Amino acid sequence: MKYSVMLAAVGILGAGTAVAQQPIKIGVLYPLTGGGAVYGVPALAGHQLAIEELNAKGGIMGRKVESIERDDKLNPASASSTMKELITKDKVDIVLGGLSSAVGLAMSEVSKQEKVVYIATIPKTIQMTTDKLHKYVFRTASNTDFEGDTMAMLAGKNKLSKICHLELDYAYGNDLEVGILKALPKHAPNAKIVLTLKPKLGATDFNPFIPQVMAAGCDGVLSGLWGPHFVSWVKQAAPLGFFNKIKWISGGEIGSHEIAGELKGEYPDNVISNAYELWYAGNDPSHKEFQARLAKKLNTQETPQWAALGYIGVMYAAAAMEKAKSTDPDKVSAALEGLTIGTPVGKLTIDAKTHQANIGQFWGPMVKKPDRAYRMMEPAEYIQPK
Amino acid sequence: MTLTMFTLNAFYGLALAMNMFIIASGLNLIFGVLRVINFAHGMFYMFGAYITFTVAKSWGAPFFVGVLAAAAALGLIAFAIERLLLRHLYDREHLMQLLFTFALVLLMSDAAKMIWGTDQYSVGYPPGLGGAINLGFVVLPQYQLFLCAIGPLIAVAMWLLVDRTRWGRVVRAATQDREMLAALGVNVPMVYAAVFTIGSALAGVGGALAAPRIALVPGMDATIINECFIIVIIGGLGNLWGSFLGALAFGFVVQFGTVLAPNWQDVLPYLLMLVVLLIRPWGLLGRPETN
Amino acid sequence: MPQRRYLVASAIVVLLLALLPLAGSRYAVDLATEVLIYALFALSLNVIIGFTGNISFGHAAYFAIGGYACAILLTTYNWPLLFALPAAVVLAGLVAAVVGYFCVRLTQIYFAMLTLAFAMLVWGVAFKWKEVTGGDDGFTGIKLPEMLAHHVRFFYFTLAVVAAGVAALWVICHSAFGLTLVAVRENAVRAGFIGIDTRRMRWAAFTVAGTFGGLAGALFGMYHRGMYIENAYWTESANVLIMVLLGGIYSFVGPIFGAAALHLLQTFTNQYTPYWPTVLGLILLVIVLVLPDGLIGLAARFKARRGKT
Repeated sequence: MKYSVMLAAVGILGAGTAVAQQPIKIGVLYPLTGGGAVYGVPALAGHQLAIEELNAKGGIMGRKVESIERDDKLNPASASSTMKELITKDKVDIVLGGLSSAVGLAMSEVSKQEKVVYIATIPKTIQMTTDKLHKYVFRTASNTDFEGDTMAMLAGKNKLSKICHLELDYAYGNDLEVGILKALPKHAPNAKIVLTLKPKLGATDFNPFIPQVMAAGCDGVLSGLWGPHFVSWVKQAAPLGFFNKIKWISGGEIGSHEIAGELKGEYPDNVISNAYELWYAGNDPSHKEFQARLAKKLNTQETPQWAALGYIGVMYAAAAMEKAKSTDPDKVSAALEGLTIGTPVGKLTIDAKTHQANIGQFWGPMVKKPDRAYRMMEPAEYIQPK
Repeated sequence: MTLTMFTLNAFYGLALAMNMFIIASGLNLIFGVLRVINFAHGMFYMFGAYITFTVAKSWGAPFFVGVLAAAAALGLIAFAIERLLLRHLYDREHLMQLLFTFALVLLMSDAAKMIWGTDQYSVGYPPGLGGAINLGFVVLPQYQLFLCAIGPLIAVAMWLLVDRTRWGRVVRAATQDREMLAALGVNVPMVYAAVFTIGSALAGVGGALAAPRIALVPGMDATIINECFIIVIIGGLGNLWGSFLGALAFGFVVQFGTVLAPNWQDVLPYLLMLVVLLIRPWGLLGRPETN
Repeated sequence: MPQRRYLVASAIVVLLLALLPLAGSRYAVDLATEVLIYALFALSLNVIIGFTGNISFGHAAYFAIGGYACAILLTTYNWPLLFALPAAVVLAGLVAAVVGYFCVRLTQIYFAMLTLAFAMLVWGVAFKWKEVTGGDDGFTGIKLPEMLAHHVRFFYFTLAVVAAGVAALWVICHSAFGLTLVAVRENAVRAGFIGIDTRRMRWAAFTVAGTFGGLAGALFGMYHRGMYIENAYWTESANVLIMVLLGGIYSFVGPIFGAAALHLLQTFTNQYTPYWPTVLGLILLVIVLVLPDGLIGLAARFKARRGKT
């Protein structure tokens, strides 16, 4: 009788440790090929850094963390299939990532159907945390409402009176326009938008638009032209002296080092923009340490900003599971609501109602530095939602 | 639209057309002679731009050395591909060549990723072409003026090559009847190799010349390939001046269309092709295929 | 007669697929559903390519129309599936008929490019008509009937619909109509001489292709619970084209193998490495160089080796 009790005890202990040995699986989807790879690859690097650090410290709840990584190919249907695969085949406990708004919404839909928590680390579409909100979706990226609000605030601060408004004609650009228009009366009541132009997503030729802006007589531009769109605009507008007399206030993170380092001496004057993270400036004591580890992993001091977003996603996943003491999606979801954690960009809290983290961005003018080939944001002010 | 605006738009349309023509002329040559639908032509364009970046920005060479390097490199790559792989497919079903070029796109995109990473790059204007010329009522960027000059030069050079040289006659004959040509003792495989090489080198040059004006990003091959096909088709397959005309139509329609009807930006080239094909089923200067 | 042999083979395949859910793997069932949908899509395209000898660069248009129409009818207008699905298919067929009318005036590459132009216009509409289609956010949250909510039941539904579609296409392609199409493909001039209205034949083929492409699209949307403009873009047309070429255009079942092969390859290479384009590219390269007729050439070689003809 004692023997069988002992056997049973060993069996239970064995089963217990068997569960304890099972790794926690975090699934992640980013574009790793094609046009989105510019953002997806650095984001994944930040994600991987966080996983490495977690495992070095013993993992989550004492269990090792396994990261299962896939290319979302910037295609919503493909991302949807791959996310389902992560859930049904790889049995992940949580999914992170996404880049474009369409992919984010597709992943959110899978998350809702399969009842698995999804943390959107980069998609900015406001819908995700408003009409398409549900129990299992969370966002640690910023959103177009807040970005628009900040841009309107800067328009007021810089005393713009006649504004040319440039947005890319797709979901992000249209959402950002809504965000700006909502906030403009509040922050810059005397400002008037004299021209609105909407180049197409993926436009490489901005010559149809540049002369129109120059002829419109505006004293400032509010722009949502991100990445290659901004770069192409600069190259095509620079010969005409475009940036001499116009203030360019831009969302879309063209104040990041990636863009500054890419353009170097070509980066124009009079630009005020944003970045999620700057390797050379921090607003949190933990930033220097994070930056050092990231620089080591990527073999360069001048690290891309997207890594921080991938990193923060993992931090939240880990913190929520620790708090819930479980990987059960309902419990993790409940744990995420209202959860505050420290990150390389400061303390962040996820709103219990909207599931949106109050992540901010660095905003500031891009100035020439005598000892550098590229411009830097100075002063870089971290602007965060309340 | 004021006179200034009209002139500006016409000028920009022309510059765009010339840049597109250089790339499209290569596609037209390959397509016209070899009947190969080369999906990878856009990749060659992208490689041309990236190679120019490496040579001109990273190695510090002058911009035009970069352009020449792009042409040479793409020529070499194309020659290797043609001799080692493509030539085995000429006798096959034409559609399988499509599959081949599709595989090429996949391989080259990863090759680019491995060589250059996923960062964005920028090539500056060559010195002396980075400013603008003030004509009083209108200000024109120098680099675009340069493109407007280079485009017709390349067109004329190609026309001379294909129309006025013996080699050109051989190429035209290869389009009509390659068996006869081979029977006459011409090394047809070498003609094919040369055509593929020159056509691809042109794509590389097009990419190199486009580089100062745009951001170099992964994925830049995707739109270009469509636009090139459109230009070649609306001009008339295999016709050099057709491609020139097609490029002009493209440039003006896209430029003016984007200004006047911005909502249609995404589909302007396709609308243009639709209209042209419905009115002239063989393209503007094309002739009905006999085989 | 050979018909019976094919009938038996098909029945066995369907039976095997029907038994798949018993293996208990949700993932396998989902994957099989996806392959079935693409198989139908590829088969529909081959009505144009294999049977009329023309290439289409714009087949995704009908896939998208079928998908969006079904999605919108089910979700925005709350139609029952019994009406929404046929309506979507009919709409796809109608658009194919209209587009086809213009396209068949051209041949070869010009035909192909015109199909592309029309398809990109469809994409443009899907993109810009945001109020109806959701634009580039996609049309998510498609309402499925309760009965189909479970993945196994959806799989059986897809199996049934695709089997019916394949059977219908088989009948069409092996009827007098289909055989005439092959004559047109082989020698259009000659076909004209013996009195065949080649233009009308190609038009009919285009319409049939679009109709079944729309059916595949409707299934696709329902499976993903969402339709996206990326599925109307030329890259989707290129994808299904590769499937057809890979499988082999001169056989009826070739596209089925091509669809299965490409979709499975794309799925598994993505699991294996972020450098999946290299792996996939190399595999396709080898196939192209070794099998001039596509994958179906493997079967032919196998048969030849065994002494049968």
